[in-house]
Amino acid sequence: MKAFARRMVGIDRRVIFLLIAAAILLPMLKPFGLPIKVSPEVKAVYDYIEALPERSVFLLSFDFDPSSKPELEPQAVALLRHAFRKNLRVIGMTHWLTGTGLADGVFSQVAAETGRERGKDYVFLGWSPGGSALIISMGQDLYQAFPSDYTKTPTRGMPVLEGVRNLRDVNYMVSLAAGGAGIEMWYVFGKDKYRFEMAGGSTGVIAPGLYPFLRSGQINGLIGGLQGAAEYETLIKRKGTATAGMDAQSAAHFVIIVLVILCNVFYFILRGEKGSPR
Amino acid sequence: MIFLKRQLPLAITFVMGVGFILQYYIPHPVSEDAITTVSKWMQIISGFALFLGLASLFHVHAVKIKRQVPGWGYSLALYVGMVGTMVAGFWNHGETMADGGQTAFGWLYDYTMVPLQGTMFSILAFFIASAAYRAFRARSREASVLLVSAVVVMMGRVPLGQFLVPWTWDVTQWLLNVLNSAVRRAILIGVSMGAVALSLKIILGIERSYLGGGKDQ
Amino acid sequence: MIFAPLVFALLFIGGPAFAGPPTPPEGFRALDTPNDAGKSLSLVWKASPSDTKERSIQVWAAASPQAAFKKVAEFPSNTRYVKPGDFPWWAQPAARGDHYLKLPSSQAFPIADGTPYAVKLLVREGDQEAWSDVVQATAAPNYFNWAQVNNLVFVLAFTGVLLGSIAAARRNPHIRLRRIAGLDAVEEAIGRSTEMGRPILYLTGSGGMDEVSTIAATVILGEVAKKVARYDTTLKVPHRDPIVMAVCQEIVKESYIEAGRPDAFKEDSNFFITGDQFSYTAAVDGIMLREKPAANFFMGSYFAESLLLTETGASTGAIQIAGTDSDHQLPFFVTTCDYTLIGEELYAASAYLSREPVLVGTLRGQDFGKAFIMGVLVLGTALATVGAIADTEVVSYVLDLFKDFK
Repeated sequence: MKAFARRMVGIDRRVIFLLIAAAILLPMLKPFGLPIKVSPEVKAVYDYIEALPERSVFLLSFDFDPSSKPELEPQAVALLRHAFRKNLRVIGMTHWLTGTGLADGVFSQVAAETGRERGKDYVFLGWSPGGSALIISMGQDLYQAFPSDYTKTPTRGMPVLEGVRNLRDVNYMVSLAAGGAGIEMWYVFGKDKYRFEMAGGSTGVIAPGLYPFLRSGQINGLIGGLQGAAEYETLIKRKGTATAGMDAQSAAHFVIIVLVILCNVFYFILRGEKGSPR
Repeated sequence: MIFLKRQLPLAITFVMGVGFILQYYIPHPVSEDAITTVSKWMQIISGFALFLGLASLFHVHAVKIKRQVPGWGYSLALYVGMVGTMVAGFWNHGETMADGGQTAFGWLYDYTMVPLQGTMFSILAFFIASAAYRAFRARSREASVLLVSAVVVMMGRVPLGQFLVPWTWDVTQWLLNVLNSAVRRAILIGVSMGAVALSLKIILGIERSYLGGGKDQ
Repeated sequence: MIFAPLVFALLFIGGPAFAGPPTPPEGFRALDTPNDAGKSLSLVWKASPSDTKERSIQVWAAASPQAAFKKVAEFPSNTRYVKPGDFPWWAQPAARGDHYLKLPSSQAFPIADGTPYAVKLLVREGDQEAWSDVVQATAAPNYFNWAQVNNLVFVLAFTGVLLGSIAAARRNPHIRLRRIAGLDAVEEAIGRSTEMGRPILYLTGSGGMDEVSTIAATVILGEVAKKVARYDTTLKVPHRDPIVMAVCQEIVKESYIEAGRPDAFKEDSNFFITGDQFSYTAAVDGIMLREKPAANFFMGSYFAESLLLTETGASTGAIQIAGTDSDHQLPFFVTTCDYTLIGEELYAASAYLSREPVLVGTLRGQDFGKAFIMGVLVLGTALATVGAIADTEVVSYVLDLFKDFK
């Protein structure tokens, strides 16, 4: 028994990698589809958008790059579907240069399926350097910060931006953030100064760090990781890649839990033995 | 030369730092115009930083290719990739879509950049599992608490866990909203104090390591 | 004898039922909105027992008393009160419980600075209405936001405490700093590398020189380099930022000189790889797998690459010491590294190792700041609780001192 435990404690990590790969692949081939519970922090974002009058201005900042696409793109798609369904005017932009193609692709895809027109119902402004300086610039004069959009169309005079001079004219804002240049920056240089309401969407790993902002009301809602995206898809009653991915995530979590429990069982079997693993 | 490398940057830092601390408390439009102007300068400087990074990369790998140091083939591959992407970008005017179809630049983005970055990030899923297997052992009371809460949260954050053990959802929500928030606030306060202290030291010229150089500051 | 108080009580309780026709609001005045950028007026009037949701207030404004008035706002009369927390007590334009309305410039009624405007209120209930007197006010931008004077006082106080702590540390740098576990392991790690004849890998994180954690990482690198110079071990420091690389180059060179081994210093011990997150990670992972360093140091700020780096390092059997203020990566460092310096332990480590008066003094100043915040948290919680239980607003005079007003 002890010999077996010793072998298992020092198992080749590639065996663990194989188990994880199986846990992720198998549910994708044979989904089991479980109900998804909605958390209050995700519902808060949904409720706010649901209560916005038609043609309200909704700013969506794609602060991520392709490495965070699996978690944040489903959030973006779900939010855009909701916003277009509510007939909101959507302004998109990004602080991450490597995320521009991704963001424009998402806009084009969701706009095509909902019959929305660029320039009339939405505009993707693209990327501009500066980070916090860009937010301040947008807060003073949006047209100076972005004289043209991603397709080089002049922003001044665009029907979708009618009556929008700067960030003070934004009714609601969501930052989909994968790290540094994201939610905190938008709050400190954006909401605190220009007084629009905002929420955050983030990868699962940074979501726990954003709960202090949620609890204090600095952001009114938080969509955390793939689970958050799946919850939002449940609320808008339109399943997407996030819901599809939850089965795989469930299986992977369970494999990790089983591995951790087994590892502790072997550890206790070997504990007290000379030369036993730390 | 010392004036340009030391005194002048320190003077600029002091004046701008104090100026923009005071700007926060001055609501007058003159103050707002000042911050708008400076924000534009910062955007321009950020744009130049991109060129600096690019020039630095070109230079470092050019030296490696010239000297044919071990691994210089990778530097050559980097050059081919960078130059190819730049040519495609300029050719397509930076657009990923044109006339309803994907451009070469868009193809490079969708079929090289996106899968490569996604692959690197996805390795984390495997590494988390192997790290958890190796490290999540109940060696002490604290490690046991960590282990139990990790298991509860892992179950509470996925539909399967919520279905099999419903109370894990409520416990997870409590852990995230109460315990986690409290601890993160504490870390945030500490780190923010550090950031404020560093900013004050930089403005007042006490901290000069950002200027580069050794202990002759 | 009981009849009069009974009538009075009935009148008071059933006040609205006996309100009578609407009367002009008492104490109505207009003024320039304080602490703002201009182009805005503020209207104040006293609260009344006959304020109800059935009775509405309309605000009418004009460029002058003789010009045509225009309706600019309408709302129920039992709204727009000044509540505790709306304004600080030292800079409130109206008393608590009064009505207050901010009238900013809008497309419907533009307000220019320096121009007097006339305003009047109409109180309406059903068919009955009453007009207030016409009052005038002129909007103007303000040079100082008095609502934030408490914030400025705290900034100046903290600056003073910081400078005082640094000055005290310059006079006596031997201030007691708590021993940090990870620091004991530094010597052990370097010794292990020397015995095994394998290099030491030191990473300074993904931040620039404007980040506290990067500065702390470079200071610790200096101390590690001194020890490495004495043991004659190979040091490798791959970088993501060219400016950090330049700074670290100088620091390592200085360390070798101080250790009396300038001959052992290698120019290429510090080298630039790339600024891209995962390209850098792949390159460093490659170095770890090929050269198998015996000790890995991860100091500074990190993002998603942290686990990729530390897990690869763990697979090579290296001893790993990490220090970061990136709280979202701490779980990964804690599970994969032998020692982890959490948050401010990293800043403290740089101060502990170098005993630089500036670093030690800064740490002390920050500790004073944190002690103050902890005291305020306890006091504020106690006062807020007392205020809620006793249903008194007196505590808000103290609580307002620590609030952030805009």
